[in-house]
Amino acid sequence: MDAELSKTLTRCMQCGTCIGSCFSGRVTALNTRKILMEYMAKGTPIEDHDALWFCVTCYACQERCPRGIPITDIILEARKDLARRKGLPGRLKNAFSYLEKHTAYVPGKEKNVEMRRELDLPVYHSQFDEKARKEVSEIVSRHLKEVIG
Amino acid sequence: MKFFPGCMIHNRYPGIEKSLYYVFENLGISISPLNGSSCCPAPSITKSVSHDLWLEVGKRNIELADNDTIMTACNGCFTTLFEIAEKTGRGDVRHVAEFLYFDVGIDRIRRSITKRLPLRLAVHYGCHFFRPGEYKKFTSQERPNILDELVEAIGSQSVDYRYKMMCCGGGGGVRAGATEVSQDLLEIKLDAISDEDADAIVVICPLCLNQFDNGQKELENSRNKSYGVPVVHYIQLLAVAMGMEPELTGIQWHSISSTDLIEKLVKGEMVEE
Repeated sequence: MDAELSKTLTRCMQCGTCIGSCFSGRVTALNTRKILMEYMAKGTPIEDHDALWFCVTCYACQERCPRGIPITDIILEARKDLARRKGLPGRLKNAFSYLEKHTAYVPGKEKNVEMRRELDLPVYHSQFDEKARKEVSEIVSRHLKEVIG
Repeated sequence: MKFFPGCMIHNRYPGIEKSLYYVFENLGISISPLNGSSCCPAPSITKSVSHDLWLEVGKRNIELADNDTIMTACNGCFTTLFEIAEKTGRGDVRHVAEFLYFDVGIDRIRRSITKRLPLRLAVHYGCHFFRPGEYKKFTSQERPNILDELVEAIGSQSVDYRYKMMCCGGGGGVRAGATEVSQDLLEIKLDAISDEDADAIVVICPLCLNQFDNGQKELENSRNKSYGVPVVHYIQLLAVAMGMEPELTGIQWHSISSTDLIEKLVKGEMVEE
């Protein structure tokens, strides 16, 4: 975890505004207040909680935190460690291979290209432009290598 | 001006792009596609793996526009490109909803339509339209009114509903990474919307559109719950109100189709000269 971000965690006064604002927290085991409490009381790393993958990143907790803790940014940062240790959950695994290969998380198929033609729209996403696709794909590969090795 | 489609609009909802060009032409604003642009990339899931990857691909997209204004119609693309532009001091990035509201204005929109659409609509802003708010200072994130007013400008009614400001459940990689959670959230949201008997859900983000639209099909299969509420992007409704044929908006390709809605869109209520 980035040192600057870690430092902000100690500002937490356990008011519970974060979990009170959290929609995911209503239906899952994600409990932001408790995660911060365990960090402060026992030193449990934020990235030890698999429930971080349940965060929809709506940023309501971060925006409402009266102590100005960038909670959602911290969750995203902690996910990096989680991903390195345990890999990505569910269909997220495929997302990055799509991004690397097609330069799109949601690649277009023939039927999607056909829809564009029907509407008389050009096909210009980097996925369909070999030079642009290679350029972006190279950037993605380079960074993924640093992360996954 | 350059239009940045992102993956979802380019590859799944081209009717949003068609509608946007129609609206801009009608308003006399010149716009063309940002050729060779890639995935923005999606802010939350990319940052969950590599912040540097997010930044470098995002910068490339901004540089492609060569200082021309970049228009987005997706909350994710808007967040990525806007945040990077603000941080690096390079690039002018807009979201079509706030552009219509602030630069075109409600009065001009009201004057530009040829037919009113007397519909009951459940508006959904989508979290990333105004959050994170470090740079997005154009609206209140607790009580926003931009989309409600835009909807009223085309003669529709924005209905109030429980959990109006709640996430659709599609963001943060949850739809792909924790599908069950994503469906739990969607179900809460749809239960609330269906209590209000809305003609459609109106979004300003194709990711929310996909979640509400395909998500309804998924809830039907996995939980035997059937809502049948069509979902549209605001720009599709505005294009129809300005005179575009409803089928050019591509709504017939959405998962939840409603002949009732299409009939209402075709008919509308003529604006007297």
